[in-house]
Amino acid sequence: MALTAPGQQLNLNESPSWGSRSVDCFEKLEQIGEGTYGQVYMAREIRTGEIVALKKIRMDNEREGFPITAIREIKILKKLHHENVIKLKEIVTSPGPEKDEQGRPDGNKYKGGIYMVFEYMDHDLTGLADRPGMRFSVPQIKCYMRQLLTGLHYCHVNQVLHRDIKGSNLLIDNEGNLKLADFGLARSFSNDHNANLTNRVITLWYRPPELLLGTTKYGPAVDMWSVGCIFAELLHGKPIFPGKDEPEQLNKIFELCGAPDEVNWPGVSKIPWYNNFKPTRPMKRRLREVFRHFDRHALELLERMLTLDPSQRISAKDALDAEYFWTDPLPCDPKSLPKYESSHEFQTKKKRQQQRQHDENAKRQKLQHPQQHGRIPPIQQSGQAHPQMRSGPNQPMHNSQPPVATGPSHHYGKPRGPAGGPGRYPPSGTSGGYNHPNRGGQGGGGYGSGPYPPQGRAPPYGSSGMTGAPRGGGSSGYGVGAPNYPQGAPYGSSGAGRGSNMMGGNRNQQYGWQQ
Amino acid sequence: MAANFWTSSHYKQLLDPEEVDVVQPLDKDKGMTLEDFKLIKMNMANYIWKLAQNVKVRQRVVATAVTYMRRVYTRKSMSEYDPRLVAPTCLYLAAKAEESTVQARLLVFYIKKLYSDEKYRYEIKDILEMEMKILEALNYYLVVFHPYRSLSQLLQDAGINDTSMIQLSWGLVNDTYKMDLILIHPPHLIALACIYIASVYREKDITAWFEELRVDMNVVKNISMEILDFYESHRLITDERINIAFSKLALKP
Repeated sequence: MALTAPGQQLNLNESPSWGSRSVDCFEKLEQIGEGTYGQVYMAREIRTGEIVALKKIRMDNEREGFPITAIREIKILKKLHHENVIKLKEIVTSPGPEKDEQGRPDGNKYKGGIYMVFEYMDHDLTGLADRPGMRFSVPQIKCYMRQLLTGLHYCHVNQVLHRDIKGSNLLIDNEGNLKLADFGLARSFSNDHNANLTNRVITLWYRPPELLLGTTKYGPAVDMWSVGCIFAELLHGKPIFPGKDEPEQLNKIFELCGAPDEVNWPGVSKIPWYNNFKPTRPMKRRLREVFRHFDRHALELLERMLTLDPSQRISAKDALDAEYFWTDPLPCDPKSLPKYESSHEFQTKKKRQQQRQHDENAKRQKLQHPQQHGRIPPIQQSGQAHPQMRSGPNQPMHNSQPPVATGPSHHYGKPRGPAGGPGRYPPSGTSGGYNHPNRGGQGGGGYGSGPYPPQGRAPPYGSSGMTGAPRGGGSSGYGVGAPNYPQGAPYGSSGAGRGSNMMGGNRNQQYGWQQ
Repeated sequence: MAANFWTSSHYKQLLDPEEVDVVQPLDKDKGMTLEDFKLIKMNMANYIWKLAQNVKVRQRVVATAVTYMRRVYTRKSMSEYDPRLVAPTCLYLAAKAEESTVQARLLVFYIKKLYSDEKYRYEIKDILEMEMKILEALNYYLVVFHPYRSLSQLLQDAGINDTSMIQLSWGLVNDTYKMDLILIHPPHLIALACIYIASVYREKDITAWFEELRVDMNVVKNISMEILDFYESHRLITDERINIAFSKLALKP
């Protein structure tokens, strides 16, 4: 057929015959991630100078040949073509180290490894959010959320479940484009939800209650829960459900979203592990209370994403129609977003480590380095409200909020304490990272960086030996770790822009919105 | 599977018959004819099917495996890619791609059990190595659409619910994998051709239904003719002829 011609010719022009090019066509520049099945590198294609990402598929120690995770990912990426889904450009092989007696390669050119070649993306969402002093504006968050939902909607329409939506798998380039990546856990599904699928998917913090309760029949709603977690994280400034194991994860979910029962989730009592995890005490849904400082439309959308019953949870398509995306301030044009120096979770982690080292040296020299680690919640308008400006004037407003143990309101104690704190991760991989049960101890991550070790937050300074540093201590609930809000609520009602009637504190008792 | 055939790589990879009926130069040098080439592919489709019955995988996996094998030989010679290794490896890969993984050692076990012939003897490492070569030969396109899904939908739409019709058309679809049709025609047209043959054979008049479909009936009839021709010539195929084809392959050029 005529349609086959262009693709084939293109391929034939680039390589002598059918088959893959060698990885030698690329020059590796820097490692940018560590993945399920190998490292990820930034590389330059020698012929064109184009910058790409190379994701290595390790083939040694594979008793069953080409890893099925890689097969899934390739199969799925080959059929998804969308501006919000990472593009798999080609697959290249590298000649292995094996040589025969004459010193020539032994002919099995696959021992050395297979690389998936992706378009290069400068950041992942987690890496970007964790940059010291980083603050997203509301239009920026809307812009990222809309792209995330658009990409996910496309996947769901094409009957693909991503099954590992999290910040480090959302890649962002310097044009402000966001793309879904790491389809290593993704799967095709049929609409009837009749197939039995594994419930050991999705990084713990982003895993929906139905999977934690052991269901094996599920659909796109699992991804939407993860989206809800990310959305809340963007608005809140840090992960909202940082559980360290499955029971704790469920408990954190129930604390915020209430306990499931046959009323709010018909059929829940038939899910395999429901009885094991059924809370002993009544737990009310407190989402609106805890996040009352969020913008009204944001909270409304979040409510519908973090709905316990997957059948009532909002779909990607409906979420795109939500008021949130169609009220002022509108999502900005990706191209209008600021450009940042490249940051991947892998790299920011490394940088933070170096920074910590630096701090320690500084401490020894009795120097104080005020710094901003950790996340800062969004600013209302880009370019406005520097963190340090947020003390003082807002204070009365926030004092009027009822102190809730788990709310962000407990940051009063440290008006100008350096924001931030520990950052999300233990300083090194040795401090007991969480082993994802399904990924052989490795999580996904952009092109494939490690999972979040949930312990990272609990002891604020992990094993870095920084316990005495003047950066605020840990507390509990949603405010784990040091204050991420230097002062006041994230939408500090400094009044500019949309006016205080739309925002923050003075709306915080109005729960009467329709869902 | 993928939602839409028309946006799939399978659709973009459909070939013209002239592109499929090519004996690779290396094989030609050994005196292999197009007929030999087709015979071996058919024989290997049967081999895959037999193996699949033993390792117990779905028909869908068999269909995908046969499609892979046929795609490989539009680009690679049998001299370099021994069909007796390619066939089980395609099954191994298809089982992964269709989410019903089969262990390589289980395949090796059944290969030994089914064939005492030395020429069929391959070990796990041979399969794993060939898997990579096949992935390359397929250019990593692993998604295949099959007529089965359209078949059920179409039969339902035509209001056909007697088992003999359903079974016959299903069996016909299975047999189309003994030919290269899946590389050439969209799956739903293959399904229609099988329904058409079944309706003629069972003397069921569904012309009215066919006329309402917005498909080119000439194409459907051509596919049907190809299938019937195949059945016609299939009767003449003997083990003898297959052995001759394989013995040509064994020649040193």
